[in-house]
Amino acid sequence: MLGCTIRTASLLSWALIVTVADAGVPGVTRDSIRIATIQDLSGPIAILGAPIRDGIVMRLDEENARGGVHGRRLTIAVEDSGYDPKKAVLAARRLLAGDNVFAFVGNLGTPVVMATMPLIVGAGRPHLFPFSPHQATYQPLQPLKFQIFAPYRDYMDAAVRHMVRANGYQRVCLLYQDDDYGLEVGRGVESGLGRLDMTLVERTGYKRGATDFSSQIARLRAARCDLVVLATVVRETVAAMREARKVGWPVDMLVTASGYSAQTHELGGAEVEGLYGVSVLPHPYPGTDTSRRLGEWIESYRTRYDADPNVWSAMGYQVADIFVQALRAAGPGLDVAGFVAAMEGLETSRDFLGGPGYRFSPDDHLGNRRGRLARIVDGRWRLITDYLD
Amino acid sequence: MFAQVVVGGVAAGCVYGLVALSFVLIYKATRSVSFMQGELLMLGAFTAVVLVEALGWPAWVAAVAAVAASFAFGLVLERAVLWRAIGQPHLTPVLLTFGLGLVIRGAVTSVPEATHRMHRLPLPWSRPLTVGPVQFAPEHLMVILATCTACAVLALFFRHSRTGLALRACSEDSGVAAMLGVSPAAMHALAWALGAALAAFAGVLLAPVTFVEPGMGMVALKAFPAAVIGGLASLPGALLGGLFIGLSEALAGRFLPDGVKDLTAYGLMLAVLLLFPRGIGEIGRRQ
Repeated sequence: MLGCTIRTASLLSWALIVTVADAGVPGVTRDSIRIATIQDLSGPIAILGAPIRDGIVMRLDEENARGGVHGRRLTIAVEDSGYDPKKAVLAARRLLAGDNVFAFVGNLGTPVVMATMPLIVGAGRPHLFPFSPHQATYQPLQPLKFQIFAPYRDYMDAAVRHMVRANGYQRVCLLYQDDDYGLEVGRGVESGLGRLDMTLVERTGYKRGATDFSSQIARLRAARCDLVVLATVVRETVAAMREARKVGWPVDMLVTASGYSAQTHELGGAEVEGLYGVSVLPHPYPGTDTSRRLGEWIESYRTRYDADPNVWSAMGYQVADIFVQALRAAGPGLDVAGFVAAMEGLETSRDFLGGPGYRFSPDDHLGNRRGRLARIVDGRWRLITDYLD
Repeated sequence: MFAQVVVGGVAAGCVYGLVALSFVLIYKATRSVSFMQGELLMLGAFTAVVLVEALGWPAWVAAVAAVAASFAFGLVLERAVLWRAIGQPHLTPVLLTFGLGLVIRGAVTSVPEATHRMHRLPLPWSRPLTVGPVQFAPEHLMVILATCTACAVLALFFRHSRTGLALRACSEDSGVAAMLGVSPAAMHALAWALGAALAAFAGVLLAPVTFVEPGMGMVALKAFPAAVIGGLASLPGALLGGLFIGLSEALAGRFLPDGVKDLTAYGLMLAVLLLFPRGIGEIGRRQ
């Protein structure tokens, strides 16, 4: 029954694509391709939205400087959702009807993505690589949805198994934000431990905006945890580490990709030394051990935006890069069906940013499921493993 | 470890208590419930950060200046907007302050530097103080000491200064106070200014604990139950309510099942409303 429904949905989507193609390809002219992105530039996660936008725009401009893709210049409409699904829906409608864009690339935030994705896909436009590690962004299989960010569950499953095997932890615990994000991480941790015939020893949550973590840390310490997995964001990561160190508890902690940020060590200082983190893409640090190409990229970003790039800038750059590669593969006669076919055959190699290679197929629209481990040493994140299976 | 949890709870309770004090101060003098205290707290903290990071002022000078600026801002808001709520139904100041809160939040989030990264207010010292088995984090210690100092200053102000006595008189009965030569309009403005300054003071104290970001005003969601628990018209009650919630939360987080901690503030508020509708101060009076 489910298979039948999925097939019907796929057929309907293809019918939409064909209809759109017959009416002329939206956003595509002889000399330009117009795309869109919906970011949070003023709301609670604007700290991520601004660098993502900058990374995307930088990559598109680079391509334009080389003459564009098959002679077409790339232009982008950026809309600010303020992390508000209602605003995002209005923005998506405006971009579909007014700007008539070809595709949406790297929309930010799960609530925003969940609200706008049906509109975008329903209008027959590709919905590409949203910054929302939610299964619905690539499953059930649908021709217009492609993703490179796996659910937290997948990364954390592999990361916890590796940590336990490598360091021999016996008592793994979880400190989690009490929402979908925290629960998703919890499922990944439990799954990883389950495959090692272990269970979570203790778990304790907090609400967004919590100011004090002393009771949570006391609870975890009383449970004699030897590894604490943190389903936290930057502020709570620093607060939890600081509280543990303050009470003289030198327990190892592992934070998800949401805490893998340069701000974590900038704000936490010595108290976050030794913290483990899951990295989907390495933080682009300038320095002597940086490759020449990465060094040039960092310098170019700095010159352009008068700010240091961070991991979100790199991710923005990377999603735009994958989009450009798919456009190239789709050939000069660009339409939605041709672009989707190109995406389904796309296989990228590892690049100077240190990301994994991404591989898509007609049966799998999630390009990567793997993360790698990093650790804060001497005030910066150092990668300590390759991508984990 | 128990003592450690208690210290954390007391520090969190002090912040709740300070914001609750600002709720109560405004309510007593103006009969208005302010729904912008969280935003005023956030604005105060951002003001201190701007003074430290952009102008290079020492943190403590910036903190004092931020509280003073918030006092002035409260005064301006009252003279420009809030005085219009005098004599209006209760809903008017509620909606007015809610709207002003949205404007303040929108204004702060429209500044890229405010939203693109978190900020911290440096403390002059960073080593924890160890007393027996208990470690006092410097930021917790500062919160507790500063709250005690603020309470002492407020007590002196309300008991021994003419302005403080006038404000108290006005909050008891503005008609009688006016006949005795107190200007209710001036006291109305003073109450809003003091409320804004207290919220900013809490924001400055919270800054080294939680970092400065637009969402930090959410702490007011816990301070309001603290004010209600204290009776909404009692300044010492508000502080006690804050401490009560901070401690209960900390102990619930340590000893009760996961998730109970987050219900504590609201559960206690409901229980106090049912058992002691005039706040926990009533317990002492009954006895």
